[in-house]
Amino acid sequence: MPHVSSPALRRLVDEPMAVPDRARRHLAGCDRCQAARSEIAENAATAARLVGAPGQARDVDLEWILLAGRLRQPNAVRRPVIRSPWRMPRRLVNASLSTPAAVGAAVVAVGVGAAAALTSVYAPTRVVPVHVSPNDVQAIENLTGLNVSQLLGGLTPSGSRKLAFGDLSWTSSGQAQRVNSIARASALTHLAYSAPASLPAGVGSPSSIAVQPKVTATVTFSRNAGPGIAGSTLEITGGPAIVVQYGGRPGVADLTTLAIAVMERPTASSADATASQLEAFLLSRPGLPSGLAQEVRLLGNPGTALPVPVPPGVSARQLTIGGTSAVLLTEPAGVASGVIWESRDGVVHGVAGLLDPKDVVDVARQVG
Amino acid sequence: MDTSFMPRLGSPPPQASLPAFEQFFREQYPAVVRIAFGVVQDTQTAQDVAQDVFISAFQRFGDPEEADHARAWVRVAAAHTALNTIRGERRRRRRQELSAVDVPPVGPEETVLDRESRAEVRRALSRLPRRAATALVLRHNGLSYAEVAEAMNVKVGHVGTMLRRAEKALRKELQNASRL
Repeated sequence: MPHVSSPALRRLVDEPMAVPDRARRHLAGCDRCQAARSEIAENAATAARLVGAPGQARDVDLEWILLAGRLRQPNAVRRPVIRSPWRMPRRLVNASLSTPAAVGAAVVAVGVGAAAALTSVYAPTRVVPVHVSPNDVQAIENLTGLNVSQLLGGLTPSGSRKLAFGDLSWTSSGQAQRVNSIARASALTHLAYSAPASLPAGVGSPSSIAVQPKVTATVTFSRNAGPGIAGSTLEITGGPAIVVQYGGRPGVADLTTLAIAVMERPTASSADATASQLEAFLLSRPGLPSGLAQEVRLLGNPGTALPVPVPPGVSARQLTIGGTSAVLLTEPAGVASGVIWESRDGVVHGVAGLLDPKDVVDVARQVG
Repeated sequence: MDTSFMPRLGSPPPQASLPAFEQFFREQYPAVVRIAFGVVQDTQTAQDVAQDVFISAFQRFGDPEEADHARAWVRVAAAHTALNTIRGERRRRRRQELSAVDVPPVGPEETVLDRESRAEVRRALSRLPRRAATALVLRHNGLSYAEVAEAMNVKVGHVGTMLRRAEKALRKELQNASRL
């Protein structure tokens, strides 16, 4: 028999049964073919070592979220995602955290959070996306008599307001302040802060560390507020919290590219009214948008759900961070994204920035 | 340049369906990202390549279950897109050398040795003929001879020839690089 061909020798390396018996018999007795096979096998092993990818776990769920988001936006489909190594990350281009969308999300967050807190005796254990519109925020303002925009401007350490159905008063355990170290922030709040070991491209060092003290608010319902809750009180606590902001790379304009927050979960308790009475009270309010009422009902047990407001156009997907459910929000243009989750120890975590969702989730998984 | 695998941009086909495509994506993503990694030697870039490949696949097939060759297509597209990426890198590096721009810093998880050896593999692959490099990364990332043959539209008997030549050429490229 003639010598074994090179292709057959190559195939012998990894699919020997596909090579005819006579070729294998010839090989057994032919020094020349054995030498050729050795060289071919060595080259194949080198290539396998260098070109074969290690079998590592892939987060297919997250990759699908990212892909589906792009496929839903025909214009975005045309945009390549391949990153040039030295190019400024696209997420930093002409954007800042104070975009209208981000502000809108924050406004809605306070509104819906307040709604949820007022509906139940409240100790959330899970985050739930709740789709809300600017009209919903306006309705909450009308219902409560609170101006959400003013609230976002910052609360005084203590104060009181007249509500549509009673009185609100609040006190805080100190002043919101900037501190110069994580250790100092942890000492003031008794919260652990875990800094990410590696940061996405374009994110610089921490530019600000802020501490928000614990705030306790008390709602005293008026005597005509409704059955079961008239004259009752509801005590709501929020915080303390640590917020760490990160800047951009040196040479990039002063810009917050990433913010990481940890906060004690908000809770609410009432000595007089039950959770179901409070929920019924909220849902019976005239002027409550039907869509928002439905969202509240869909929370299941609202006393255990921390609503994450999702403004129109923002995509929300659920995923897992540190073994607990999380909500990932992505701004329509893909410029900013954020993820929020509550860990099993009752601490609410948030990571948001001018980053791809993938990068945000990567940071979240380092700290979660 | 071979453009047969390039996406047909524009509206997806009428039968395009995200739910149907999701199942295809979940089945094929691990293989696609593995093939891309074999070329680009970087997890993040491989994931980006995989994203682009599936967007192209969606544009082309819509409901991939109705396209018998979608599975083979995404594998070859992964190899080609990844090879385009590293070839672009080669061009960029030339420009960088001319303009003396610093290369970006590496992440802390990457040692200098890792980075250099990975870069050498990328460079060597980028110098191989496209079909040779494609056969190499397909075969060494889980495809059988029959699957490589189907994906590349060649006879099974020809795959051994392509692999043997590609592996020999890869080794030669790496030996040349180490002598520099």
